[in-house]
Amino acid sequence: MSERLPVASREDVRSYARRLVLRHPRELALALGLHGLAAITGLVTPWLFGRLVENPGEHIDLIAGGIALFVVIQAALTRQAFFASARLGEKALAELREEFIDQVLRLPLSTVERAGTGDLLARTTRDVDQLSGSVRHAAPQVLIALVTGLFTVVALGLTSPLLLLPVLLVVPLLFLSTRWYLQRARDAYLREHAAWAEMTDGLAETVTGARTVTALRRETGRHERTDADITESWAAERYSLKLRMIWYPSLEIGYVVPVVATLLFGGLFYIHGHLSLAQVTAATLYVQQLSRPLDMLLTQLDELQLGGASLARLLGVSAVPSDREPSGERPAGTEISAKDVRYAYAERDVLHGVSLDLAPGERLAIVGPSGAGKSTLGRLLAGIHAPREGAVTLGEVPLTDLPLDDLRHQVALVTQEHHVFRGTLRDNLALVRPSSDDDLRAALEAVAWTGPGLDEVVGSGGTTLTPAQAQQLALARLVLADPHTLVLDEATSLIDPRAARDLERSLGAVLEGRTVIAIAHRLHTAHDADRVAVVEDGLISELGTHDELVARSGSYAALWTTWHST
Amino acid sequence: MRSLPVSDPGTPDNRGPWRYLGWIARCQLHAIIPGTLLGVAWMGSQALMPYVLGQAIDHGIKAKDATSLTEWSLVLLGLGLLQALSGVFRHRFAVFNWLAAAYRTIQVIVRQATRLGPTLPKRLTTGEVVSVGIADVSRIGDAMDITARGAGSVVSIIVVTVILLGSMWQMGLVVLIGIPLILALTAPIMRPLHRRQTRQRELTGDLTTRAADIVGGLRVLRGIGGEQLFSRRFKDESQSVRAAGVRTASVESVLDGIGLLLPGLLLVVVTWMGAHYAAAGEITVGQLVAFYGYAAFLVDPLWTIAEAADRITKAHVASKRIVRILQLDPEHPDLGTREPEGTRLTDSRLTDSVTGLTVRGGGLTAVVAGTAAPELADRLGGYADGGSYGGIPLAELKELRRRILVSINEDRLFTGTVRGELAAPDDDLAREAVWAACAEDVVDAVGLDGPVAEGGREFSGGQQQRLRLARALAAEPDVMILVEPTSAVDAHTEARIADRLGKHRGGRTTVLFTGSPLMLDRADHVIFVENGAVAAEGEHADLVKSCPAYRAAVVRE
Repeated sequence: MSERLPVASREDVRSYARRLVLRHPRELALALGLHGLAAITGLVTPWLFGRLVENPGEHIDLIAGGIALFVVIQAALTRQAFFASARLGEKALAELREEFIDQVLRLPLSTVERAGTGDLLARTTRDVDQLSGSVRHAAPQVLIALVTGLFTVVALGLTSPLLLLPVLLVVPLLFLSTRWYLQRARDAYLREHAAWAEMTDGLAETVTGARTVTALRRETGRHERTDADITESWAAERYSLKLRMIWYPSLEIGYVVPVVATLLFGGLFYIHGHLSLAQVTAATLYVQQLSRPLDMLLTQLDELQLGGASLARLLGVSAVPSDREPSGERPAGTEISAKDVRYAYAERDVLHGVSLDLAPGERLAIVGPSGAGKSTLGRLLAGIHAPREGAVTLGEVPLTDLPLDDLRHQVALVTQEHHVFRGTLRDNLALVRPSSDDDLRAALEAVAWTGPGLDEVVGSGGTTLTPAQAQQLALARLVLADPHTLVLDEATSLIDPRAARDLERSLGAVLEGRTVIAIAHRLHTAHDADRVAVVEDGLISELGTHDELVARSGSYAALWTTWHST
Repeated sequence: MRSLPVSDPGTPDNRGPWRYLGWIARCQLHAIIPGTLLGVAWMGSQALMPYVLGQAIDHGIKAKDATSLTEWSLVLLGLGLLQALSGVFRHRFAVFNWLAAAYRTIQVIVRQATRLGPTLPKRLTTGEVVSVGIADVSRIGDAMDITARGAGSVVSIIVVTVILLGSMWQMGLVVLIGIPLILALTAPIMRPLHRRQTRQRELTGDLTTRAADIVGGLRVLRGIGGEQLFSRRFKDESQSVRAAGVRTASVESVLDGIGLLLPGLLLVVVTWMGAHYAAAGEITVGQLVAFYGYAAFLVDPLWTIAEAADRITKAHVASKRIVRILQLDPEHPDLGTREPEGTRLTDSRLTDSVTGLTVRGGGLTAVVAGTAAPELADRLGGYADGGSYGGIPLAELKELRRRILVSINEDRLFTGTVRGELAAPDDDLAREAVWAACAEDVVDAVGLDGPVAEGGREFSGGQQQRLRLARALAAEPDVMILVEPTSAVDAHTEARIADRLGKHRGGRTTVLFTGSPLMLDRADHVIFVENGAVAAEGEHADLVKSCPAYRAAVVRE
């Protein structure tokens, strides 16, 4: 049931990039200015050298000293220029990723609950990485190449406007071949990256599933999968290599031909007395120098393109529309009630008109076979989704009309998925609301916590909590959130049955005094509840106290008899 | 160009990091040699360009000889085309070399991982191995890729030095001293740079982990709160990554400056000396231009050599990590040679010497062992010492893994199609296994050709568990050991699985570790293990009555 998140349009990416660049005009001007000055100082050397060639023996020491001076100035300016652009790049990059995470943290609850994390995780890691690479390397290089290239052409023009011709001659060749290449390169590289990711994912899977591979004797299968992934990666790499094998020769010719032409025509002009030797020498050196920024510019363009594609995926996250409009109504009580609720996934109704009234403080257990719609009903009762038809209300107000901040302190959904965040145990608890250490300890005590203390670092990279402890942590968070109604969706099902029993004791303390809707597959949970609802094929087929249902001899009674085996 | 991947990566030389690199290089010598030759041609033709330029100026321009100028211009063009051609093909071989090395290393690591099996997570963290597969593989590729450019750089520096020594030995000497001097002067800055780069990479890695942590726990954050706290936390870390980036850049930019300064000063010295020689008439103007050209050209091969040294150092470190993985041996390899005693499958008993547990051949035996179940199952399946089958210790049993299958909840679902995951001989058998595991709803929803996402994460916990059970059943082992196969399944479905499991196994030995009365009630025989020993045996209904400890363990009131 994973859904893809949207991707921003080309226009949105462009306007965002523009705003990002222009957000720091002073820094940008400084970086550009320094790169410009560095480029200009770099152009003095060929010019001075031309003087030296023109009249060997005149002012040798002075000119050599001059070249040395400009080399030093150029080096110093280059250092400052690189530093200024890197500082700007880091600043922009930090803003970008921080804004992105804020957008992620603002994603609608229904999207978060429904969409798989794969797509979002890939954007958070791979796309942020790709974009960092583009901003750190490609962007400044393109900037420098543009500035340097421009000034070199100007210097060439000042030396001899006539000798601009050979350079201009190859511009169409370079332009057309690069355009041809760029039109294909983006998809080629995306395919390359996707194939590479597929291959490393396959490797990770083999490694993490090494025991399973042995148990099921899937060794050959895993080798074949790896080789198939490599074959696809190779095909993708070959394709982009083919593109470059066509594009590169045109670039190389584009660099060589102007040098030869400048030498030849410059020489001929000199022979005919139109130019001085200094001009010819300087011009040839300029044209030769020009290949460097040109090459930098052209080869970094595809990298920039990839950065653009990543940016589009990052910006797409902010395009998810909000799933609730708080109406401002305040609930008049704490009773939850569902009236003729229908809900559909992909246009197929999974709930066909469910009605249910819960008294405050009541415990309801929902049982039934998989796929009957139990979890869907649970999510509607927790206000995650709005029903397609009918209504789920809290004190007469539809749940999805409440602001999220209100809702989470009224109704909470607890699932079998629990997450331990990287950080101290304190961080893991205090995320609910700022609390004193005493409050935090009290919450831990309520769930009979036997794990590490508040200052212990837990989560990935820290102390690993057992599944039972992770679940206890989730329950302690609930104690702090203090909602009057809880929806438990098989909250203890992934835990070793023995541990589950201890956990259920601590759960009991948490549930005290709250309305509880427990979707459970362990029958003793149902036995302990005030009422039991059996959900079958999207409908409530049996509803009543445990004793009533057992007396009714329906499907619940049959199960109970086996379970209890008396 | 040969096609990749090779069907058999061969046996890697795992005796040490250099040996491994040498082995990789030998395996692809057929591409490294031409790559290197092309690299030499490519760099060499660039090194000769200033010479031709000088000749064109002397014989063509200075001598005002248009024919000679044209001739030398054509030579320059030819050289340029040679450079272009060899450069393009060098690139082709370099890419091949990079990929061939990376692919072969991945193949070798995957093959080693499957050979190690359950030993792997015991000796190494999976993260370690995965990061080798992602990062270190690239380092090996980098080292093979640089061979072509590196060789070209060395040769071109030699060419330039020889030319200089030949035409004006003093200038040759300057270059000969200048090049190592520049490399030596740059070296001290590399250390702090690498340190800062490492720090920056670590912080960036931490930040990525933090971001992934936020995404992984987004349900919690959106469901219960804490967005602002985590946003602030992320911003703090993001800002320290930024600060580390700026710190790296402050050194890196010095390197950029020095990269211009030192070769630039060498250029000044060469030019200054050349100008004096030219003024004294010892060299021509063309030669002066050529000297300038050589000095300007040397920058590229110079940095390439520095880069090659860096890449080879990193490849060595990467190779060390790879070799560490390759040196491991599996603890319980499936290499036994003895057949079990008895002619029929149901003759063979499965025993555990630690608890004294004996599973009779044939039928469904349920074991109630609480938290001791995983270890006990491991011994019965030959993942730890202590088990025997048909009188043969499992380590000596022929085709151990074909005969005995242990299925646990930590078993991983692999990406691919449902059919591929079940791996039954035909679709009918696949559907039978799916039926027995009550996983029809899973298969009906996506079809046998439907996809299984990474770790089966598109399916709910209960669906994953039933799919795993179906996959294990489809393997049709002689002995099947299942550990809590229905812990995430609802009571309705669990009851149905209990009915179907025995039918599907058709009398073959099945051992079921469970605490669920619904399952225990359907077992032919129940063994209760407590405090490391068999405490009671019999039928579920009898044990409930006769054994209070058993009753307490399985029935909840």
